[in-house]
Amino acid sequence: MNKQMLTGNVAAAWGARLAGIDYLPAFPISPQTEIIETVAEWIDTGAMDASMTTMDSEHSMLTAAGGAAATGVRVFTATSSQGLLYGMEMIYALVGWRVPLVLVNVSRGLAAPITLEPDHNDVLAARDSGFLQLHCSTCQEVLDSILMAYRLAEDRRVRLPVLVNLDGFYLSYTREPVIIPDLEEARQFVGPYDPGTVRFAAQAPVSEAVAVLGGESYSYFRYEVQMAQAQALAVYGEIAAEFAACFGREQARIDAYRAEDAEYLFLMIGSFATKAMDAVDQLREAGWKIGLLRPRLLRPFPEQDLRQLAAGKKGMAVIDQNLSFGRGGILHTEVTSSLYGQSGAPSVIASFVGGLGGRDIAAEEFYQIAQDLRQACVRGIQPPMRLLYTAAELTAMRNLQAIANVPAPERKP
Amino acid sequence: MYRIRFHGRGGQGMKMASHILGTAFFLAGFEVQDAPRFGAERRGAPIFAYVRAQKAPIKERGIISHPGLVLVADESLVPLPAAGILHGVEETTVLFLNSREGGAVWKARLNFPGTVLALDLIGNDLNQPGGQRFFGAICAGAAAALTGVIPEDVLMQAIEDELIHVEAIVVQENKTRARAAFLAMQDKAGIVEEGSGVKVDGYRRPAWIDVPLDDAGLAAPAIHGRRTSELMKTGAWRLRKPVIDTCRCKGCWWVCSTFCPDSAIVVESGRPRIDYDHCKGCMICMVQCSSHAISLVNEKEEVSGE
Amino acid sequence: MKITDSAFKKPKDLPGLHILSAGTSICAGCGGLQAIHEILDILGPKTVTVNAAGCMSLLSVYPFTPFSGSWLYTAMASAPAGAQGVRDALDRLLATKKIAADEDMQVVVLSGDGSATGIGLSATSGAIDRRLDFIYICYDNEGYGNTGQQSSGGTPHGARTTTSRGEQGYCGHKKDLFSIWKANHPAYLATVSGAEPLDLARKIEKARAIKGPSLIIAFSPCPTGWHFPPQESIEIGRLAVRTGVWPLKEYEDGKVVHTKIPAGRLPVTEYLQKQGRFAHLFHPGNAYLIKEMQADVDAYWDCVEKSAATGR
Repeated sequence: MNKQMLTGNVAAAWGARLAGIDYLPAFPISPQTEIIETVAEWIDTGAMDASMTTMDSEHSMLTAAGGAAATGVRVFTATSSQGLLYGMEMIYALVGWRVPLVLVNVSRGLAAPITLEPDHNDVLAARDSGFLQLHCSTCQEVLDSILMAYRLAEDRRVRLPVLVNLDGFYLSYTREPVIIPDLEEARQFVGPYDPGTVRFAAQAPVSEAVAVLGGESYSYFRYEVQMAQAQALAVYGEIAAEFAACFGREQARIDAYRAEDAEYLFLMIGSFATKAMDAVDQLREAGWKIGLLRPRLLRPFPEQDLRQLAAGKKGMAVIDQNLSFGRGGILHTEVTSSLYGQSGAPSVIASFVGGLGGRDIAAEEFYQIAQDLRQACVRGIQPPMRLLYTAAELTAMRNLQAIANVPAPERKP
Repeated sequence: MYRIRFHGRGGQGMKMASHILGTAFFLAGFEVQDAPRFGAERRGAPIFAYVRAQKAPIKERGIISHPGLVLVADESLVPLPAAGILHGVEETTVLFLNSREGGAVWKARLNFPGTVLALDLIGNDLNQPGGQRFFGAICAGAAAALTGVIPEDVLMQAIEDELIHVEAIVVQENKTRARAAFLAMQDKAGIVEEGSGVKVDGYRRPAWIDVPLDDAGLAAPAIHGRRTSELMKTGAWRLRKPVIDTCRCKGCWWVCSTFCPDSAIVVESGRPRIDYDHCKGCMICMVQCSSHAISLVNEKEEVSGE
Repeated sequence: MKITDSAFKKPKDLPGLHILSAGTSICAGCGGLQAIHEILDILGPKTVTVNAAGCMSLLSVYPFTPFSGSWLYTAMASAPAGAQGVRDALDRLLATKKIAADEDMQVVVLSGDGSATGIGLSATSGAIDRRLDFIYICYDNEGYGNTGQQSSGGTPHGARTTTSRGEQGYCGHKKDLFSIWKANHPAYLATVSGAEPLDLARKIEKARAIKGPSLIIAFSPCPTGWHFPPQESIEIGRLAVRTGVWPLKEYEDGKVVHTKIPAGRLPVTEYLQKQGRFAHLFHPGNAYLIKEMQADVDAYWDCVEKSAATGR
C-alpha cells in the first residue's frame, strides 16, 4: 500500500493524476496554488500525461475548462474564494452547457476585509449554480472525492460539473497520511472519458449553449438540471458502494458519527467536523449521548438521509462556518427546511455560527454548544442564533482599533 | 378591465402606440399598465405591445391572453403564426386592422369570432422612408375611439406628452393620423367593453405533468447539424422586395450575392436567384446592382396584382 | 502571399454559395452580418466559432442555427478563453490520436467592438501572450449595438449614441484596437470591409494559412444604431474607405501594409452626412468637430505616405 504524508492540495493533485485528466486550465490563487504547481511539475517531468494552460483570470479559466470539456476531453481545474467569485458568471454558465468537469475549491473567507484563512461563504455562493458539491474533512477524502466526482459528473444520468471543496490551511497546507490508490485500479474505477453527444466534431457540428426565447424553453432546460441533480443522489450511492468495494473506504452521502443511539447531534461540514468528532468522543466519555452528522454531499442535498438520521433525536446543533447576512447560518436554513413537519424530527434545531476567516472553534465551545442545546430542549424553546465570539476576542479587537487610531464613536449626551 | 393588444413590426411604432394609449387612459383618470414585448427579432419582425386600464388598481400582469381589442398595424402580419394576432381572441374581442380591405372580408377570411373593423389609412406611408412609424399613431387613435372613454383632446395631449423630445413636424404627423383614425372610429365608440378576467367557477385545470428526466444530450441547449435557421422564414419581415429583371441582369452575380447580408441571393448556373423565403427586404442588392437590374416592388401591390 | 498566389484574383472568384445560412434574427441590412458571411465563406465549414455576447449572440436561437460548423456561445468577457479551451482540447485529441489530422478545426472568435475593446480585452490579451492559434473576428459597429447603441470603446469621437446624446456627441476617442494587437506581435492582423470583398477574401485566406493569433477587424455599418436606411450599408462601407476614415491594412512579419490607399480621398463629410448619428455635426457651432475629424484623417494618411516614402 502506498501511504504518504500529503497536504490536501497535493492530495487533490493526486486525485487529478489518478483520474487521468487530459487538461488543466489554471490560474493561481492562495491557498490553492500548490495544486496547479504540483500538476505542472508532474507534466514537466513526464510523470503525468496531460496538458495545462495558465489563463489570465478565473473567468477565462472556467471558460476554457468548459470549452475543452465540450470539445471532448477530461478537464480538471481549481480555484479559491475571490477567484470562484470572479468566475461566478461561468460557474452558472457551465451547468447550462452540461459539461462534466471537476473543479476543486479551496475555501477561503471573502473580502472585505480580505483574508487568507477559510470559511464557507465562497463555496456556498456557488450553492445554487447547479454544480454538484462534495465537501471533504480529511486529505484522504480530498483524493477519494475527486475520483468519485469524475464518475458522478460523467454519468449519463447526471452530466453536470462537480465542485470538490476542501478548507484552506486546515486541509490545503496540512499534511496527513493519505493512501494513494494504485494507478491502474483508479483508472479502472474512473473509466475512460465519454464525451457524449454534445461536443464539437468536424463531421457532426453542434451549436452549443444557444439562447432561447420565452420562458417555456428556458424552464425546460433549467428543470432538467434539477432532474439530473435529483438523480445524482442515487447515482452517488451506487458510485460510493463501488468505491467502498474497490478501495475499502466508505463515503456515504452523510457521514454519521456515533449518531445511532444519540439523543443530541452536531451537524457540520468540512475539516472542522473532525474537531466536532473529537468533542463527541469527550462528551460521550462524560456520559452524553451525542453524535455528529456531516453531509459530504451538499448539492444535491441528501434530504431523505438527513430525515432518517435525525428521526427520534431530541435536539440538533447546526454549526455554520458561513453567514448569510440578515438571515444567519446557511446550513441551518437547509436543515430546518428539510426537517420541517417530519414526524420524529428534533424539536430543537439550534444555530451556531463560528470559524469565520479561520477562527478556531475550541473544544470548550463544542461542549457549551451541547449544554445550550440540552437546556433549550429541556425548556422546549428554540434558542436564538449564537455568533461564537468571546470577551477576550473583543478586548483584543478594541486594542487593534486603538492602534488603528479609530476615533471613538461620539456619545450623545 | 380594458385589455388591448397592438401588433405590428419592429419600426412601426407599436411601443409608441401603447405609450400614447396608456397615457391617454392615465390622463382620463384610469389606472394603467403599458408595456412592449419583443424578443430577438429586429426591425421588420413581428412585435406586440399591450395596455391594461381600469378605474381600480391593476393587479394582473404579463401578456394579455383574453384581449378585448386587438389592433393590427400591418395586415401582412395576420397570416404569420409567429405574430400571434389571434392568440386568445373570443366572441367579445374586437379586431381592428389598418388595411385596404374591409372588415367583412377579414371576418370571413379569418372566421373571426368577434367584430372586425378595418380602416385604410396606409396612404403613401409604405413608400415613404420611415412612413411606417406612423402606424402606431393610427392604432392608438383607433383604440382611443373604440373604448369610448377617451376624448379627442385627451388623445392629442397624450401624443404631445409622449413625443416631447420629437421634432414638431413629426408630432404633427402623428396627431394628424391619430385624429383621422379617432374620427373614423368614433361611430363605434364603446364597442370595446371591459372584460372580467378568468373566473374561478369552471376554470380549466392546468395540465401539469411530472417533468421527465431526459438524457443530458437532449437536455442541453444544443443544436445538432447544420443550417437549421433556414426553417425561419425571415421573408415575413419584408414589406417591399427586390425583383431581378432577368433581361437586364448581366449575370455578374457576385455583387448581389456577396453583398446580401443574409445569404438570401443564391447563384444557380451563373444567375442570381432571390430566396424570398428569407430576403428581409433591406434592398442593398438593388442599390448595388451596377446594371440596375433589380427594382423595388411593394409586397402588397404584387399580391393584389396576382 | 502575393495576390498572384491568391485564389481570389477577380470578383468572380468569390464564392456564390454561402456557408452561413439565411433565417437569422439579425437586423435587415446589417453590415456586421454582411462582413461575417463573407468571412465564413472563405473560412469554410470546418470551424468552431466561439461567440462573445453581443449582436451576434442571436445568430443561433434555439433550435435555429445558421452555421455549418460548430458554435459555442460564451460570456462577453471570455470568448478568447473559450477558444483556448477548444484549441487545447483539439490539440490534446490530436496528440492522443483520438481524432485524425483531417478532423481538426479552425477556432474562431466572434465578438463585437464592445467586447473586443473593453470587457473582453483581458482574455484577448492573454490569448495573444499564449500565442493561441485562432482567428479573432471583431465586427466593429462602433457601440454596444445589441443593447441599442450605447457608446463603447469603439465609438468614434463626435458620434451620437444613446449614452452620448449631447450636442457634441461622444467625447471619447475610438480605441485603436489594431495598434493594441500590433504592439504584441500577433501572427496576422487586418482591417476589412464587407464593401471590399476581394480585399477581405485575400486577408481571410492569409489569416487561415498563418498559425498563431490573428485579428480581423470588420467595419460593420449598423442601420439600426447609426441611423441610415438599410439599403445604404454597403455604400457607407465604401465611403468609409474612400474618405480614408476606415483604412484597409494588414500587419505581417512586423510590417503594416495599406492594402487599398484611397486615391483622391473624398472629404469626410461625404461619409458623415449619410448617417443620423453624425447629423448634429452639421449644426452651426459644430463645424470645428468636422474640421477636427478631417484633420485626424489627413494626419493619419500623411503619416502613411511619409512612412511609405522612407520605407519604414
